[in-house]
Amino acid sequence: MRMITVPRDGVPVTTAADIARDPSMGRRFSVKTEVVVVGSGAGGATVAYELAKAGRKVVVLESGRYFPSANFTEHLGDTMTEVYREQGSQFNSTADVLFVEGECVGGSTVIGACVMQRPPDSLLQRWATELGLGNLAPDAIGPLFDEVGAEQYVHLNEAHEINTTAHKVIQGCEKMGFSWKPVARNVRQCALTGHCLAGCPSDRKMSSLVTHLPWATAYGARLFADTHVQRVLMRAGRATGVEAIVRDPLTGAQMAEMRVDAEVVVVAGGAIQTPVLLQRSQVPDISGQIGRNMAVQPFVQVLAQYDEELFGFRGALVGVEIDEFLESDGYMFFSALAEPEQLMIQGEQGAGPDHIRFMKQYKHLAGLNAFAIDEGRGQVSWEGDAATGRKVISWNPSRTEFEKLKRGASLAARVFFAAGAKRVYIPSFQQLQADSVFELDATMDQVSYGLKGMYSLRINSFSPHGTCRMGNDRFQSVANARGEVHDVKGLFLADASLIPEPMPSAPHWTVQALAKQVARNILDSASGLFLNGKA
Amino acid sequence: MHNNNARPDEPGWMSGLAPLSRRGFLRTAVISAAALSSGCATLLGRGGANSDRRYQHLTEDESIVLKRLTQVLLPAEQFGLPSSLSEVPTVQNIDGMVGQMAGQTRELLGLGLWVFEHRSMASFRFSRFSRLDDDEALRYVNAMQAGTFFERGLMTTLKTLVCVNYWRDARTWPGLDYHGPVTEIWGVRRLGNAPLPQV
Repeated sequence: MRMITVPRDGVPVTTAADIARDPSMGRRFSVKTEVVVVGSGAGGATVAYELAKAGRKVVVLESGRYFPSANFTEHLGDTMTEVYREQGSQFNSTADVLFVEGECVGGSTVIGACVMQRPPDSLLQRWATELGLGNLAPDAIGPLFDEVGAEQYVHLNEAHEINTTAHKVIQGCEKMGFSWKPVARNVRQCALTGHCLAGCPSDRKMSSLVTHLPWATAYGARLFADTHVQRVLMRAGRATGVEAIVRDPLTGAQMAEMRVDAEVVVVAGGAIQTPVLLQRSQVPDISGQIGRNMAVQPFVQVLAQYDEELFGFRGALVGVEIDEFLESDGYMFFSALAEPEQLMIQGEQGAGPDHIRFMKQYKHLAGLNAFAIDEGRGQVSWEGDAATGRKVISWNPSRTEFEKLKRGASLAARVFFAAGAKRVYIPSFQQLQADSVFELDATMDQVSYGLKGMYSLRINSFSPHGTCRMGNDRFQSVANARGEVHDVKGLFLADASLIPEPMPSAPHWTVQALAKQVARNILDSASGLFLNGKA
Repeated sequence: MHNNNARPDEPGWMSGLAPLSRRGFLRTAVISAAALSSGCATLLGRGGANSDRRYQHLTEDESIVLKRLTQVLLPAEQFGLPSSLSEVPTVQNIDGMVGQMAGQTRELLGLGLWVFEHRSMASFRFSRFSRLDDDEALRYVNAMQAGTFFERGLMTTLKTLVCVNYWRDARTWPGLDYHGPVTEIWGVRRLGNAPLPQV
């Protein structure tokens, strides 16, 4: 019987510095393996673990740096510089919608707020019946959700995990008659520091950094950081590996060229990076859907000011959600107030003395994030040639989406007023606030759609999905129900890009369940995919 | 007498930024053309020699604009907070961030700073932003924030850049009664990696 030992702390990772130190690797080297996984976030780490556990040789490539959790400082600004993609400034093409994403070993799981949601069964059932995706039916994928839930210590917040911000939301909901519930989070013995967005230095957040990645490496998977995959290699309609460049994470200087020859390629870079890699690689796109249909789950944050000192940034970052409108209107509301720096991306906070006075109110503030389901019209594309081109994210709200977000902001404001707020700050590029519920409608009327909704509401996105949607029709979708790209044998996807339609749930849990399913599909098809084809 | 051409009254803080009239537009165009035709690359934030050695990545012109903007946005000392220039190295923090920006983002920032510095010339007697007095500079910032979508976007971007790089400094936090990092202070034990799931 094989003894498997998970390291007590950290993950064995080969970094650019290791490669620079090792003359035997040279400036150009190659690795041979059975499976190469691109991306080490929620999807990539889960696939790597499942396949390594089944005895497959797995190599994981991550473009971001390795930042051990012991190094987290609980300074959001520092973390943004070090592990957020583009230092937390990945924007759409008009530079007014922020797409927040982790770029480090563990991906966005490292900087996420731990929110775990299952899509409503009604939606999963509809995907099964209307889209013919039986693999997503509740009875098919439900057990995988349960498995992930157990691995990730997913639980409903207990009383001590509900902070003062969340209590204001509860009070407001009770007065308004709105349904609310504690949020489910993947955290083990939360230390209630409130620093989720800056990474968890005590390893309580169940990010891939402390779960699937160390588990996968314990089963023999090899992990490379600082490794930017340039293209997927294909021959005769079959994926054969990837080419990558290893870069110094501090200077961006190229340290080495790497080639991985593999029998199966799994791309799990997330809904933004995966389609641009496929486009750069000129993966056949008969459907024309690679990079299209992007749902962004746009959200705005409403801030409320109370007379009393709340210290709403203390305790678990996300405490409760309002589920009153989830199935009827596709709204999700989460209580949250993070570090002071975070306020800068949520609304217009004034200038000069006005700005300082606003910031001085920080301990009196509560925050409520209003997410709306969107229409899935966004697009990600790679423009230019593979070496010098650039990624373009195209998403601006339609008028309908804009009005929906406005209504979400208005509902959030009403909840806060019902709980006694003396002022509510509207998430806008203009400095707008209402001092009573009677001023709210007139204030919201000042938020106008204008030109394509640009620079009006202050919109962010944490959870894009659907850019390589799965489906049975190869003329309408990018991957089949097994997660394999149509017409490219051995090329699988395992991230939020697979999600077939916009959904009103944080996608983290769904991505991990899908990744497990994809991994098991690969194992089930072992005889057709691997030279050593035993299952 | 009713005048169809009359503009509605603007709030006081809006009066700083007149919309570009035909004459204003021509004036701006002439200035821009002069800058471009003189080949003054530093105005566009590209290729300028950096004589201020404190900044590795910002040009001298950019650092002047950012210092002035920091003063205007963050008069912190008046409120008992650490100075945004002499105590908290706001502009140096920005310099560090700029050093890691993607090439295209970096170019856009340079262009944005140039536009911001010179947009005021159309409304403030040919004066650049960095040469406006305190009241005018704040009026200009507020007017940009309430301006067209382009002006609003530019102002928001610059304001976010400056304010994030001030408030990220731990010296600013006691003034907000914000506790900052706590794991070490509280003696929170590290749990390490999660145990392998039982198969």
